[in-house]
Amino acid sequence: MSNTSLNPPVARQTAAAPRGMKVLAIGVLVTVILAVLPHVADNAFILAIGALILLNMIGALSLHLIIRTGHISFSHAGFMGVGAYACALSVLKLGVSPFVGLAIGAAASGLLALVVGPIVLRLTGKYFVLVTFLLGEIIRLVLVEWESVTGGSNGLSSIPDLHAGWNSPLAQYYIALVAAVLVAALCIRLLMSETGRAMDAVREAQRVTECAGVPVIRLKVGIFVLGCALVGLQGGLLAFFMHYIDPTTFGMTDSLNLVVMNVLGGMYNVVGPIVGAVFLVALPELLRGYVEIQRILFGVALIVVMASFSSGLVGLATMLRRKVHQ
Amino acid sequence: MFSAPVLTQVLINGLSLSAIYVLIALGFTLLFGIMKVVNFAHGSLAMLGGYALHYYFGEFKLPYVVAILLAGLTVASASMVLEWLVFRRFYQKMFQSMIGLLGLDIAIVYTCVLVFDVYERSIPAALDSMVAIGSVSIPADKLMIIGIAVVVLLAFWGFMSLTRYGLAVRAASEDIEIAEAQGVNTRRIYQLAFFLAIFMTAIAGAIYAQTYALSPFMGERPLMVAFIVVILGGMGSIPGAALGGVLFGFGESFLSTFYGSAASTFVSFGVVIALLVVRPWGLLGKPER
Repeated sequence: MSNTSLNPPVARQTAAAPRGMKVLAIGVLVTVILAVLPHVADNAFILAIGALILLNMIGALSLHLIIRTGHISFSHAGFMGVGAYACALSVLKLGVSPFVGLAIGAAASGLLALVVGPIVLRLTGKYFVLVTFLLGEIIRLVLVEWESVTGGSNGLSSIPDLHAGWNSPLAQYYIALVAAVLVAALCIRLLMSETGRAMDAVREAQRVTECAGVPVIRLKVGIFVLGCALVGLQGGLLAFFMHYIDPTTFGMTDSLNLVVMNVLGGMYNVVGPIVGAVFLVALPELLRGYVEIQRILFGVALIVVMASFSSGLVGLATMLRRKVHQ
Repeated sequence: MFSAPVLTQVLINGLSLSAIYVLIALGFTLLFGIMKVVNFAHGSLAMLGGYALHYYFGEFKLPYVVAILLAGLTVASASMVLEWLVFRRFYQKMFQSMIGLLGLDIAIVYTCVLVFDVYERSIPAALDSMVAIGSVSIPADKLMIIGIAVVVLLAFWGFMSLTRYGLAVRAASEDIEIAEAQGVNTRRIYQLAFFLAIFMTAIAGAIYAQTYALSPFMGERPLMVAFIVVILGGMGSIPGAALGGVLFGFGESFLSTFYGSAASTFVSFGVVIALLVVRPWGLLGKPER
């Protein structure tokens, strides 16, 4: 796992303040553009896809946090499912308000992460991948088998809106936008902080980082819990958007999709999962009717990316930009 | 509940499951032990074995033993192209191999959806008769499956422990650099190990498809099995794969007969996760470093 660092570390330290301002400016600009978009392209189809992309960005970004500590989790959609079911059940069975439901969903997913995290995060590399692979499958099986609570394969239906009347594509787009922007801001801020540097250090050289006084396991568990809580939030939002959830939405394929978003976009840059989410959600919608060919292309793209430039689309872009500058 | 017919059924099911699982896991562990690739495309290669058997045995009506060996050979030969195109780029790159080969898996599965279709097919049983042993009767094709798997495994064991090439493969799996220094042609050994691994996987996949059902998506379960067995036995360890396959095969046969398939899945996954946590290198593997 080699990290292609964009700036040398010294330059990063001295230019910290201006860099922060620059990132903030770009973030605000992008947010404003996205907020104005519905008034330019007022089309239910585009808005629905937009909402879906923004929702997936939450999942991809939260997984990105975990990946940055050097752990590729293959059970992320499982945690999304835990969030979605906890949220939907608390609203349907306990009758709490949907917003409280969202918080309960995120908390449930985070809590599960807090329980399993300290155990599984001691594993590294392939062992972590394999154990999360199985963990995701166990979560899915529990959702299928625990019929009295989860409704089994039939799932849960008639989940209300997040707020009465907020069911138009426009409203959903804005809800997703607010959530995605908040999550993205949190992730970017975190990655630019001391903690973010510690995460990169843990991934690159765990022993050295431990010697430098970073509480490695505590950091990893903290990030794992945060990432899983955020994807639980996505699960809750998904439940309110779709009004219906079942275990098939939270299986292996969906965990893989989140990983693929990160890998294709670029694993070691926060822009990576954002680009990846846009590609992976928008492309299938535009290529409808050619599902098989599009999956094959994804597969081939994964091979090419991993074999030739493991820093993904973002890495490719920086490489090209450097070539032009030289 | 523990009557003789039931116990015999558990035993025969356990044996035939173990046979399939050991074959699948041996391929996986060979690739991992020697080339350090985590073959996420393992399930789809097993699936190709199923389709090959479907054509050779179901459509062309070749004798069963010929058909299944031919299926293994066809898939293994065809995947040498994949070795050249894809796999060799990921040798000794464990991390990249996981995701790159996952891509290969997706590509193979959906190519099969295009070439064949998504519907499940069934491969006719090799033999319809029942064999009576004392008071219990056993389906003959289960015995056939067990027989074929045992022969293939014995051939593999003989090759590995009695021939010069087998010695070279074992040397390469111990320490690739030292083997190279001793004059082992690693490129050739990689190709040989790859061929053997895919041959066994394809045969296992063919039997699996015949026992359950054949579809482009059937590979998910064999892949999971390969993971579980290989983790149980220790990644890269050949005796470990054999032990893990037998343990898992009998465990599943016993648990699913008496407690249902869901219970058996939970238990096996739970055991594997627990084992990964306390002893990640498995029962017969050796710790890294």
